[in-house]
Amino acid sequence: MNLAIRDVRHDLSRFVLTAVGLGLLLTVVLAMTGIYNGIILDATALPDSFGADLWIVQRETRGPFAELSRIPAGLEERARSVPGVAEARTYVAHTIQRDLPDGSPVRFMAVGLSWPDDRGQALPIVAGRPIAQPHYEFLADRSLGLPLGARIPLGREVYVVVGITDGLLASGGEPAAFFTRSDAQKIQNETSNESLRLERAARSARIRESELGRDPELLRFSGAATSLIPAIGPAPVAAVMLNLAPGASEASVRATLEAWQDVSVYSQEEQRALILGGVVEKTRRQIGLFRGLLVVISAILMGLIIYTMTVDKIHSIALLKLLGARRTVILGMILQESLLLGGLAYGLAVVLGNVAFDLFPRRVVVGNEHRLALLLVVALISVMASIVGIKKALAADPNEVLAG
Amino acid sequence: MTGGRSGGVVARSLSKHYGEGNTYVQALSEAGFEIQPGEVVALLGPSGSGKSTLLTILGLINPPSSGWLSIGGQEVIRDGQIVGNANIIRRRELGFVFQRSNLIPFLTAAENVRLVLELDDVPGREARQRARDIMEALGVADRADHLPAQLSGGQQQRVAIARSLIHQPSLLLADEPTASLDKELGRQVMQLFRSAAKDRGAAVLVVTHDQRALDLVDRIFEIEDGVLTVGSEGVAAHSTPGGR
Repeated sequence: MNLAIRDVRHDLSRFVLTAVGLGLLLTVVLAMTGIYNGIILDATALPDSFGADLWIVQRETRGPFAELSRIPAGLEERARSVPGVAEARTYVAHTIQRDLPDGSPVRFMAVGLSWPDDRGQALPIVAGRPIAQPHYEFLADRSLGLPLGARIPLGREVYVVVGITDGLLASGGEPAAFFTRSDAQKIQNETSNESLRLERAARSARIRESELGRDPELLRFSGAATSLIPAIGPAPVAAVMLNLAPGASEASVRATLEAWQDVSVYSQEEQRALILGGVVEKTRRQIGLFRGLLVVISAILMGLIIYTMTVDKIHSIALLKLLGARRTVILGMILQESLLLGGLAYGLAVVLGNVAFDLFPRRVVVGNEHRLALLLVVALISVMASIVGIKKALAADPNEVLAG
Repeated sequence: MTGGRSGGVVARSLSKHYGEGNTYVQALSEAGFEIQPGEVVALLGPSGSGKSTLLTILGLINPPSSGWLSIGGQEVIRDGQIVGNANIIRRRELGFVFQRSNLIPFLTAAENVRLVLELDDVPGREARQRARDIMEALGVADRADHLPAQLSGGQQQRVAIARSLIHQPSLLLADEPTASLDKELGRQVMQLFRSAAKDRGAAVLVVTHDQRALDLVDRIFEIEDGVLTVGSEGVAAHSTPGGR
């Protein structure tokens, strides 16, 4: 005869309700773990997806994923000429928020690919195809919610979704969308006709008022489109990604690049470490603290619940002692009830998590190792909680039964 | 017919005191008595006379300050110390019945009855069979699967008696078992104790204030200010004025 089961069965609804409450708390603990894992995965998925060996960024900056980085687009060609470099690509990215034709807001990170070498073919495309033309096509991450063939107006142009990627997000959680570099920069820098006219007029006025204004040719160019002025280069990029030739020495290539005074160089691993150490670290500590607090709260709650359950049957415990029950019988009953409560709450948390985590706006990644870790934590707090009840049970006096 | 264990209860010079100096209280003083197997003895005494103290000593809940005790032929207290494992002795040699039935509320009547056997690791099948038998004998077999809250007061007390007898204890301690029952039910309960004593060979000590119960006991012990007076005469003699 299992006394713990009998006791639980006697007031099943209260026990189940308690387990549900505790289960919800453990669901939040599991969610915190999953959100943390998701943040790490989200933060590193995008840089990982490019498969670059080295990243060239603005001098003394931590790279485009940690802070603003601006380097000349021409650096791509310079880097390509370094012995040992097989491939160089530019990286541009910026977050934009626009309204879709149906009025719903959409926020994503527009990433520019080095057309024509990089059409997104290395990205995890789960539907559709890579970009096939230099303009007006893009790849959207699944979490953006746009279907294949969707036509999205951005600025004065309309862009078509030709491919869907999976799991590529910015460190802030925004889905990524991949355009050709020129399209991405156009989307970023596009201004109204009026502001273009005003800018050109202001530029002409500045030239006219200076010594340079005496040159009629220069004066003519000053009012033209920026792209027609030879002295003004193309828009800067955030970084240049390099892939090394087979057998090439990374150290040698890196030494060459680091000799340049205008850039810093990071390996892929360093880039990851910078992201995790800088962007994710505070979030990690915050979530870790929150998770720890929830575990402590769960332990305290369980302790109180087990204590209350023990107090409720203290007379029965005293009677059991009077009838000659071994100490292990009484302690076993309390420990089993505690483990049963923890087990039920844990099971509920896992089931609820499996159902609910997909509905979370951010990615929640929970693996079996995390479930196992939570199970061990729950087992531990169940045992600790039972100690409170056990102490009370040990103090139960058989004399109370005789005293009536 | 005496079918149970032999030995009954033998107590020699059981004393219990609390405190020292000004707070010294002699709760029980040099109590000595014997209760034969199959004998039903009533213990009478006013509140604070030492009844509960004697009960907790006989129940091996609190050891005496000094004295010697054997139950069922087994020495259980020597020089004021419990000899052996009190839990095992309680599980095997002692049965308890109280004023309130004191059934465990989350166990069914049958589970309450066989609890003592299961605590002593008697196999489940045998425990169930013995529980069925004794509940049948006490007329509560049809309530076997009911929780205590679903039983009447009389049924609860019968279940409690079944629990106290199922392991055939050498000593049955009953504390005011008829106090909360009506006259007829109280008499039935005392009859059950008599039957248990005779059929199972248990020594029965009933603490009671209930005069109605006294015509069904073999002897009466009286206690006052910790001093136990052992009656050697029958109940009829006791009820006669001046007979005691």
